[in-house]
Amino acid sequence: MNQNQILPITNESGYYEIRLESIGGLGANLCAKMLGELGLTFLGCNSACFSSYGSEKTGTPVKGYIRYCKPQQEIRTHAPVEKPHLLAIFHEALLDNRNTIPKIGEQTKIVLSTRLKPEEAAIRYQLPVSQLYCVPAQQIAMDTNSRINVVMLGAIGSVMGFVQCAQLEEICKMTLGKKYPDALMNNLSGVRMGFSKVICAEQKHTETGREALYGQENPTGQKNATTGKPEMKEKKNEQMTHVKWGYQTAPIGGINPWFGNSVTNDLSPSRQGYIPIFIKERCINCALCDVTCPDMVFRFEKGVYKGRAMMVNQGLDYVHCKGCMRCVTICPSNALVSAKEEDYREKPYDTVNRELICVPAEYEERGADAYITSEAYLTEKRMDGGEV
Amino acid sequence: MEEQIMEFASGNEMAAIAVKQIGYDLMGYYPITPSTQIAESLDAMKAAGETDIVMIEAEGEHSAAGICYGASVGGGRVFNATSANGLLYAIEQLPVQSGTRYPMVMNVVCRTVSGPLSIKGDHSDIMYLQSCGWPILFANTAQQVYDFNIVALKVAETVRLPVVVAYDGFFTSHQKKRNYRFTSDKSVRDFLGKKKEPMPLFDFEHPISVGSYMNEPYLMNNRYQLHLAVEQVRTTLPEVLDEFQEISGRDYQMVERYPNNEKEMLLDDTEIILILLGSAYETAIEAVDDMRAEGKSVGVVTVHTLCPFPAKQLYGACRNAKRIIVGDRQDNYGAGGGSLSLAVRAALQRFGSSIPVSNIVYGLGGQDFVANDAKKMFDMANNQNSDGNDACPGELEYYGVVPGEVDKEEIQPYFMPLARERTQMGITQVEQEKNKLRVIGGSVNATAQMPKRLAPGHGACPGCGIVVNLNLLLRAIEDPVVLLFQTGCGMIITTPYPKTCFKVPYVHNLFQNGAATLSGIAEMAYRKQAKGELPEGDIVFIMVSGDGGLDIGMGSALGTALRGHRLLIFEYDNGGYMNTGYQMSYSTPKGAKSSTSHIGKEQYGKSFYAKDMAQIMAASHIPYVATAAESNPADFIRKAAKAAEYAKHCGTTYLKALSACPLNWNDKPANESKVIEAAVNCCYFPLYEIENGITTLNFDPEEKGKKIPVGEWFAMMGRTKHLSQDQYKDVLESIQAETDRRFHRLREMSKHPML
Repeated sequence: MNQNQILPITNESGYYEIRLESIGGLGANLCAKMLGELGLTFLGCNSACFSSYGSEKTGTPVKGYIRYCKPQQEIRTHAPVEKPHLLAIFHEALLDNRNTIPKIGEQTKIVLSTRLKPEEAAIRYQLPVSQLYCVPAQQIAMDTNSRINVVMLGAIGSVMGFVQCAQLEEICKMTLGKKYPDALMNNLSGVRMGFSKVICAEQKHTETGREALYGQENPTGQKNATTGKPEMKEKKNEQMTHVKWGYQTAPIGGINPWFGNSVTNDLSPSRQGYIPIFIKERCINCALCDVTCPDMVFRFEKGVYKGRAMMVNQGLDYVHCKGCMRCVTICPSNALVSAKEEDYREKPYDTVNRELICVPAEYEERGADAYITSEAYLTEKRMDGGEV
Repeated sequence: MEEQIMEFASGNEMAAIAVKQIGYDLMGYYPITPSTQIAESLDAMKAAGETDIVMIEAEGEHSAAGICYGASVGGGRVFNATSANGLLYAIEQLPVQSGTRYPMVMNVVCRTVSGPLSIKGDHSDIMYLQSCGWPILFANTAQQVYDFNIVALKVAETVRLPVVVAYDGFFTSHQKKRNYRFTSDKSVRDFLGKKKEPMPLFDFEHPISVGSYMNEPYLMNNRYQLHLAVEQVRTTLPEVLDEFQEISGRDYQMVERYPNNEKEMLLDDTEIILILLGSAYETAIEAVDDMRAEGKSVGVVTVHTLCPFPAKQLYGACRNAKRIIVGDRQDNYGAGGGSLSLAVRAALQRFGSSIPVSNIVYGLGGQDFVANDAKKMFDMANNQNSDGNDACPGELEYYGVVPGEVDKEEIQPYFMPLARERTQMGITQVEQEKNKLRVIGGSVNATAQMPKRLAPGHGACPGCGIVVNLNLLLRAIEDPVVLLFQTGCGMIITTPYPKTCFKVPYVHNLFQNGAATLSGIAEMAYRKQAKGELPEGDIVFIMVSGDGGLDIGMGSALGTALRGHRLLIFEYDNGGYMNTGYQMSYSTPKGAKSSTSHIGKEQYGKSFYAKDMAQIMAASHIPYVATAAESNPADFIRKAAKAAEYAKHCGTTYLKALSACPLNWNDKPANESKVIEAAVNCCYFPLYEIENGITTLNFDPEEKGKKIPVGEWFAMMGRTKHLSQDQYKDVLESIQAETDRRFHRLREMSKHPML
């Protein structure tokens, strides 16, 4: 078998590389595993895969890495994939900032889970439209009663260009079939829909077209001095709240004197499309929302309600709301209701934490850094009934 | 050659496959990242009926090592796997096992030793083992993990010593790659043969005493026997590796080098040799290929045994080098390098070599090591560095450290410190009333005024109950608080460096020891107050732990309670080791599935009833024990205020809250308040308090007409909903009966003050 036909492109080390960007709970880990197994079992490649270790709680960013190479080549590296041939983004909100997707190469094909068309997504997220492939993975997962990760598996396989849909289905059967036979048919249709519904821009954009696009939409307007092409918005940690503690400057012993600085984390990427909306007129100020909220989002101030001095609800701190909807369930007066976040670019009663004496100039553009390390359980569990 | 098949798997998975194929009798273990997957995989296989190994999840690594020792003495083939602090906690048992010469195999999945706590990989744990008398094989790839596990047992039983197979956490343990394994278990079992027991314990015709009391002059001879046994590995291991090659086709030596072909690696030519342990060796091969293609004379060497150290083979592999660099993934602080470089220096010296050796400490706490890093290490030996100095002066260098930047403006506080006057608002007050305390005020609305002791921005999963419970506890306490968290989700989500959620003094310690540590902290504060070095005024000391922490830390908590230190132990009980991926805890409901209590044809989930920690604490006769739930917030606030009041003045108090875990309970985050309410209503989690020995049931669902069957609560969670199926009817009935028995006992105690 001619390997060059199987892997149309490889990097200087001989690898074809894929990176998955997701948040915990969407099954990217399992998707990475299936892609890894696909390479070995059906593509005649050698392959390896692993996930980022360090942020696997639900809602926190997760990365998956896959490498393929010729079967006779050993995969010795343990390094994360930096410049993938294919980048798959499972969760659109991750694109609201650049930190989660650093270093996209010019050859990188991007598979994005979104309801937007490639032309729209390219503008909204400042992505190169000619490299962008969009798939409404969440919608397909809901329609087929499958999961985002199998839909993305289909879309990724399609965009890779050297994988057949039947091979993806086989790998799905191998991985999921034994454990979840009941869910298999739905997952297979999810794979097929992902494979067929992923789209690129309708018209090929010329280089000039791309320039024009960036000219309008790229707020920085920066261009690469050598190539003249616009640069992706880079990490901007430098201006941000990140601490640059090293061995000369860090307080000894790992002691952290900067109390409460977790407030600089922006947790909105943890949300999965829904937010609570506060309807103040209905609020009876029972403060059960303040009790049930794990993220200290509600702001109560001294005030008067129905003629009585009491603590009165002022609104929500949406930077730290993870969208768990506990408050909506517990609210006895329907003053908190669930809404689609995309319908509320401006959120009513959006407020900041009452106790802040200094509001962070900019929030760190990522979820908090927590971890769960046992993928064995995580990858299996949500198959049988958790949320997509 | 025996038939083999391809397996796309990680190091941990390959270890589990080897264990299953060997047909071990027993695994005693305690979950710790990154080694836990081995036990998880085996438990899944066991549930499916693929292996009949006895799996025992101990309440800590020390006990796990004890279980393994006992099973080895009992004549079984025994396996264990651990990492980092787990290994250190177990370490007291390890010389016992080697000194009394009972073979077994333990996998050490290498991870950084705390503290600060890191879950990532380096070699700071494994090097503690070097004087334990356990031979240590080091595997660099998942394939080697599989192969060495088979080889290790044969060596162990030949020389009658326990043997360790070590490999890198995450890099080797979690990355999935292409491997080969024997198609049939028989190939493995034939290779190993049957275990021989020279002096069986269960021979009542020939009884033996194991573990003598032995002083001089005998102990010296016992130790010499141990020394000889370890030395015997130098001849036994190569023989076993040769035998293994015959069935597997894979050739291993105690020392491996690259390029390994004599022609390719003209040793006289190879000027610089880099010596690395573990996965980094594999990575460095890529760098060597690149650099040799550029005409640079470089090579890389690794050792596959740390104990006994293959000095002769190592010297042979690099005797003609002009320069040697050793990369250490740990540091023997003050010794001039890590264990590997010190051993290399000793080996070279022994053979009269004067090759200059420099050593570099790299990759601590799992810092990535990529091919470019290896190239830089070679360059450090080859060239002068940018300062124009010799970059390789023979002194220890740390690779990959940064000095950092100072920016005073960055350390602007975001919050006002929570000094006493900012929290003492008189909203929640406690009064003495006869033999009891009475709480005045403390309504849910009014306590919303209490500044939160935690800042938002923590990394808990959406809907997590931990912070909900913590906030309920703290909104009732108006005095300054000092918090100590044992390891667990609560700790991880709040203090990922360089961030911290805490706005009040906070300390973490490992979860065997939180209560003891807080005892020391509290006593120091009381002493300082007595000496006038700290202002008078109440301080509430709170130890926060998950239910897991009160498994492994149960002894420490009970000791603290028995000594009666004035502090509060707060348990958030989510019924599992959630931080490490939901292994069962002793508080996990019977029948619940977890990653170490899978469901399958041979298992229905966890096999024993949930631990009743509140009653265990009550048995230590402390002034106040209570249970609370977020579904009853007013009750929760009242109990928190009382627990704090007793903790300030009377002794140790204990408050336990049931804490929702949407991720691992497998339910919807939005529903958690209802799930908790159901747990209370089904009497699985009764709300009661024991004040100065007198039990009061605070909420009786039967009287209120709210009682539901336990099965109804179970049906709300993915982890237990299978119990509603017909095939688990008996299990569910037994749980219902036990739940009712415990609840009715409490009710009787509540009616009769003397109970």
